[in-house]
Amino acid sequence: MSEKVSKELIFIIDDEETIRDGCRQVLEKSGHSVITAGNGLDGIRIAREKHPDLVFVDLKMPGMSGLEIIDILLEDIPYIVLVVITGYASIVSAVESMKRGAYDYLPKPFTPDQLRAVTKRGLEHRNLRIETKMLRDAKDQVEKDFITFVSHEMRSPLVTIQQYMEALKIVAGGCLSGEAVDIIERCDKRIRNLEDLVEHWLDMSRIEDGTLTQKKEPVNLAAIVARSMDEMEPLCQRRGLEMEKELPGDLPSVIGDEESLVRVLINIIGNATKYTPSGGRIYIAAEYDDLDVTISISDTGAGIPRDKIPFIFDPFFRGKGKDDRQGGSGLGLSFCKRIMEAHDGKIDVSSEEGKGTTFVLRFHR
Amino acid sequence: MTAKKKVLLIDDDKDFLMATRLILEKSGYEVFLAEDGKSGVDMVKSVAPDLAIVDMMMETWGEGFEVVSKIRSMEQGKSTPLIVLSAVDLQGPYQVFEPSDESPKVNMVLHKPVKADDLIKYVGELIG
Repeated sequence: MSEKVSKELIFIIDDEETIRDGCRQVLEKSGHSVITAGNGLDGIRIAREKHPDLVFVDLKMPGMSGLEIIDILLEDIPYIVLVVITGYASIVSAVESMKRGAYDYLPKPFTPDQLRAVTKRGLEHRNLRIETKMLRDAKDQVEKDFITFVSHEMRSPLVTIQQYMEALKIVAGGCLSGEAVDIIERCDKRIRNLEDLVEHWLDMSRIEDGTLTQKKEPVNLAAIVARSMDEMEPLCQRRGLEMEKELPGDLPSVIGDEESLVRVLINIIGNATKYTPSGGRIYIAAEYDDLDVTISISDTGAGIPRDKIPFIFDPFFRGKGKDDRQGGSGLGLSFCKRIMEAHDGKIDVSSEEGKGTTFVLRFHR
Repeated sequence: MTAKKKVLLIDDDKDFLMATRLILEKSGYEVFLAEDGKSGVDMVKSVAPDLAIVDMMMETWGEGFEVVSKIRSMEQGKSTPLIVLSAVDLQGPYQVFEPSDESPKVNMVLHKPVKADDLIKYVGELIG
């Protein structure tokens, strides 16, 4: 990289003409382009227009303070690197500038060598930051493509296997013994679990890239509860569980993404069905005050051992059931947690072994 | 003896075609397979099926749509009963194919995998 395609643009903001001219001469001689401004307002105006790579700002100028200029430039111009020129011996102001995001400082008086050294360092810093950003973007893109690819490549064979199993039942039909039918059922179930795992894993990635919680509109929580209950009612019936709700008639709406919130409730109700023995009860309630709206989902199930509670929202943590009904991806609750976080909300749990578990979803109004 | 009803399956997954064919043949249909959209459209002409089943999730999301529109724009396919198959969302979260007023008319949307009983029932309802 000996040949630079475009010269780096260096901007000097200082009210002393001798400093501006001195810096310009030194830096132009080192092959940089230099522009200057004599006060803060001009400095900001010119910087916004020219997008310099590196800016030297005198901290003490009449009018606008150097610190103000730093704040505005850092906010307005991506990747800009700021070096403050400090006119007085105290380094307090230099430290304050660096706290605010300036990269370095240059105390007056300085020699041409010092100026060149600081310039070189500042520009290197800038290039590094740009490279890092590019690498990070590239990595994000690779991850996204990978997710799409894997989801398709993993799901297609699963769907095909399931379709073959359907065909097998039809083709072999009456020839199959009870044992063989049972084996097919078990295979079916394991494949569905694997499908859920892929689906949940995709959901997690979608939260990360923001595609899952992109909507921010008023959401009627009562409608979400009703939709989720409709969806889960057949499963509850099959498992011999009663599901009830008690919601205030005037439950306020919250801002969020309806689809993903329905998924949260379905996940939690689904969990309750897994760990609640037949004859048990799932109870959904809601309340609100001036600040928050909460929905709670309680069951009369096995409960969560006290020492496991801190981990239940971790990815791939799974409860151990007494039978093998509890097949799950281990991602359900961490999915719920992330969705709630994306809503600036919270999910909490309280549980007593043998008595049951309550999940509480809390939203800000 | 009445001729068997003809069903055309269009899907780029060979195994999915095989499995679906087995189910339909067992129920007495004559089944034709197309492994890509283009040959599927051609076969609507050459085979003149009584019903076609089109996967919406071939190579690209667009391909299924294109196939359906092409079939609908052809004389032979104008009124052929069409079932489209959709696996959830390549597009984005929970997006499935939902026929709208602008999209070409299909008779039914089913989700992959399709239960054998459902497939037989729906195909039966559409063409007997």
